[in-house]
Formats: sequence, structure tokens, C-alpha cells
Amino acid sequence: MTETVDRRRLLTSAVVGSAALAGATALGSLAPEAAFAADAQPVEPGAPDPNFAEGRVTGISAGMLFVTGSDMALWRIRITGGTSVWKLRPTTFDQVAVGDGLYARGLRLPDGTLAADSVWVNIVNVHAHIAAIGRNVLHLDHKGKRIVGHVVPGTSAARYNDTPAVADMSLLRVGKHVQVIGAWVPDTNEVEIATVYAAA
Amino acid sequence: MISWIAPLQPLLLGLVLLWSARLKLLSPLAAAAAGRSALARLVGDTRALPAYRLVGAVEAALALVLLAPPALPAEALAAAALSLGFTGYLAYARIAAPESSCGCLSATRTPIRGRAFARTAALLAASLLALPATAGWAEALSARPLPAVALLLAEALLLVALSPELDRHWLDPLRQLKVRLTRPLPAGGFDVPLASTVEQLHRSPVWRETATLLTSDLREHWDDDDWRILVFTARHAGQEASAVYAVPRLRFQPAAVRVVLVDEPTGQILLSLQSPPDTPTPDWTRPTPAPAPAPA
Repeated sequence: MTETVDRRRLLTSAVVGSAALAGATALGSLAPEAAFAADAQPVEPGAPDPNFAEGRVTGISAGMLFVTGSDMALWRIRITGGTSVWKLRPTTFDQVAVGDGLYARGLRLPDGTLAADSVWVNIVNVHAHIAAIGRNVLHLDHKGKRIVGHVVPGTSAARYNDTPAVADMSLLRVGKHVQVIGAWVPDTNEVEIATVYAAA
Repeated sequence: MISWIAPLQPLLLGLVLLWSARLKLLSPLAAAAAGRSALARLVGDTRALPAYRLVGAVEAALALVLLAPPALPAEALAAAALSLGFTGYLAYARIAAPESSCGCLSATRTPIRGRAFARTAALLAASLLALPATAGWAEALSARPLPAVALLLAEALLLVALSPELDRHWLDPLRQLKVRLTRPLPAGGFDVPLASTVEQLHRSPVWRETATLLTSDLREHWDDDDWRILVFTARHAGQEASAVYAVPRLRFQPAAVRVVLVDEPTGQILLSLQSPPDTPTPDWTRPTPAPAPAPA
């Protein structure tokens, strides 16, 4: 824990404390040849992207996720210190559970594993109508099927008319169309809401 | 008792069938409603609209016969047979084309659920109730105006309650009223949402220059006084590093965003970037048309 605090203090002072550098100071080079030293692997048109994986987590071991894709492909996804993990919010590897669904993007290594850059766990993107509103719950009508959207106080945010996200959910109206980005609760019709897009 | 209830049922049935036929015969949305209904599956896409119109014509004809005197048991039997036919159609649609719309009373897309079955059952019951009628509905109405009107209203309300396509006219406003009274959703009260900070980052000049270096999504974030620190993984000059962005937390000032690329194992700063203080904010960073509501 103190290690985390120390590290964060160090990184904070590195970015905020460098105010003495006047103007557009660039330490290091942003030249394209430096930035793009590692060129991207081209993907043949029509071929599956080898650097992308999706499926349900069937096993977890040290730093590795075993994932069964929807096409029954078996994936080994390596989580490194540089991997971002999203599960309703930016989180850590230990929050991933067996049974979760995920999308992962990274780099396919020669041994067949995918070294993940980013992993999005249980992420869903739903266009729906609000059928009813309960205490911290949106009942969504998605093509005639019901989805229960849980508002997570402190995490869920709303974007009205493309203005910056706010915590205020009270402008949502029954019968209106919304788009919900959220985290699916595995094997249920329930999602936890990360961001809801609506007109107000 | 039954003597005054029975003659009223043809009036109710006739009005419901007329309403239903109106959509199928006169509505400009009839073609769309037919295409979405299970008829398209049953008789083919090209014949769905003619079949839909035929059903409407049958409904209209039966409605007129029901409404016009005299009251004959054969009319009630025909209405019961039509209701049974509807039930069969709904069952077929539920099994063969579960995603199809009912197309019953409105062109609104309405999946077939229990309420649609309950409604045809109610119509069937009304048809059977009408069987023993001997007098016309006009006599029944004039003989006992008050109970007759009350009964018709109650039956109509039951049919409305069983019609999902009419929900937006009464159920949604009721639910909106409940929301207005109980206020079940949080109205702010916590910190600036992360999504808002990320959006400010995306609108910053620094992000424009460094976004192509990033390989990961947002890895972690924390608050430090006026700043919210967002950490990504970046690849710079063939080397993996942490891109640490500092974004103003409580004010919208994308030009103030700064970044350092840190090689975390060594703590070495590979790159540090911030916009000059006088950098004009590009047009597209300003929310249009109205300024954003200030997050609490």
C-alpha cells in the first residue's frame, strides 16, 4: 500500500512539479521516427486480427487469463504491468473473475499468447429505452427484452446532449432513448452503468 | 343481470375492431406495421401487406355488422371465431417469429407477450358474453345509461391496460410522475466523474500530440489537489513507459493538461510536455452550442 502511495507521489511530482519548465518544453523527442520505432503489424484484409481476443474467462493463473472465445477459440492472455484492465472502472487484474466476458487487445507473441495492452471486462454497449426508473435502477427495454441497469453511486456518470459527463442522473426520463456503456453482471440480464448517454 | 350486459358487448367489440381496422386500412404506417408483423413470415414478404389489409377489411366488416341492429348470435360467434383466430396467430408469431411485432392496434413496434394473449382472451370472453343478447345495444344503453356506461368504460380500461402499444400514453406518464415525486436517481453529490476528466484530456493540445504513443487504455487514476492524474502505457522510441497526464480536476482548461513519460523501473523521465500558457483553445474544444453545465 505504501509502495503504491510512494509511487503515485513520485509520478504526481514528476508531472505536476515540473512547472518550472517554461512554455512548451519538450524533454525528449516527439519526432515520428522515434515515436514509431516499433511499427505496427499489418493485418491482411479479411483475416482475423491476431492481436484481438474476445470470450469468457475459464481460468486464471499468475498473470495469465485463459479465455474461450465465442467461436470456441482458446486464448491465453498475458497481463503485464503495462496492461490496462477495465471492469466498470479502470481496475486491477485481481478483480477479473472466472466467468467474466472480455475483449482484449495486445500483441500476439510467438508462443501463441496474447500480451495484452488493454482488457475490457464485461463491457457492454446497449441502445435501449428507459421503461421504468427505480431506486438507483434503470429498467431498460432493449428490443422488447428487459435489461436492469444499476446506477453505481460514485462511478456512474451521465452525458446529456454530448456535454461533459456529470454525476447528475436525475434528468433521465421514462420512455426516452439512452445509450449505456456498462459492465455486464455475468449470466444475468443486469448491467452496472458506467456512462449513460441521453438527450435532456 | 346478463340481460343488460350481453347487448352491450357488440358495441365494445365493434369499436375495438374498428380501431384495429383503422390502422390496417387507413394508416400510412400500415405497410411498415405489416412488414414487422409475423404475417411477413407466415405468407411471405410480398403478400404481407395485402393479407394485413384483408384482416383489416374482415375486422371492419364484422365491426359494422356488430354495431348495426339487429343483434344476432351468429355475429357474436363470428367475433369469437375471429378472437380465436387472433390467439392462434399470436401463438404462431410467438413461436415462429418471436422478434416480430404484434401489429394489432398500433404501428408501434410491440413484441408479443402475455398481455397480447390476455387481450385476445378478453375479446373472446366479451364475444361469448354477447351470445345470449336479444336486444340491441342502443336499447340497453337507454334502459340503464349509468351502469351501461360504467361497464363499457371499465371494459375499455381493461383492454387499454392489456395493450402494450398504448403504454406510452398512460403508463409512461404515470412512471414519470412517480420519478418526479420519489426522485430515485442521484442528482450529483459526488466528485467530477472520471469520464468528464477523460473528455477534457481528449480535448487538450497535449493529447493531440501524444495520443499516438499510447498503447493501452486508462490504467489508473488518482486525485492530487487541483489535478487528476491519469496513467496510460505508452511506447516511445521503442521503449515502454508510463504516460502520466495531469488534468485540471475542477475547472475546464484543456490547455493546462501536461504529460510526462516515465520509465517506471528506473524513474527516468523520457519526455515532458505542456502547452504554452497562451495556447488558444481550438474551437472544437468548446462545447457547442451551450457551455457545459459545471460539474458539481
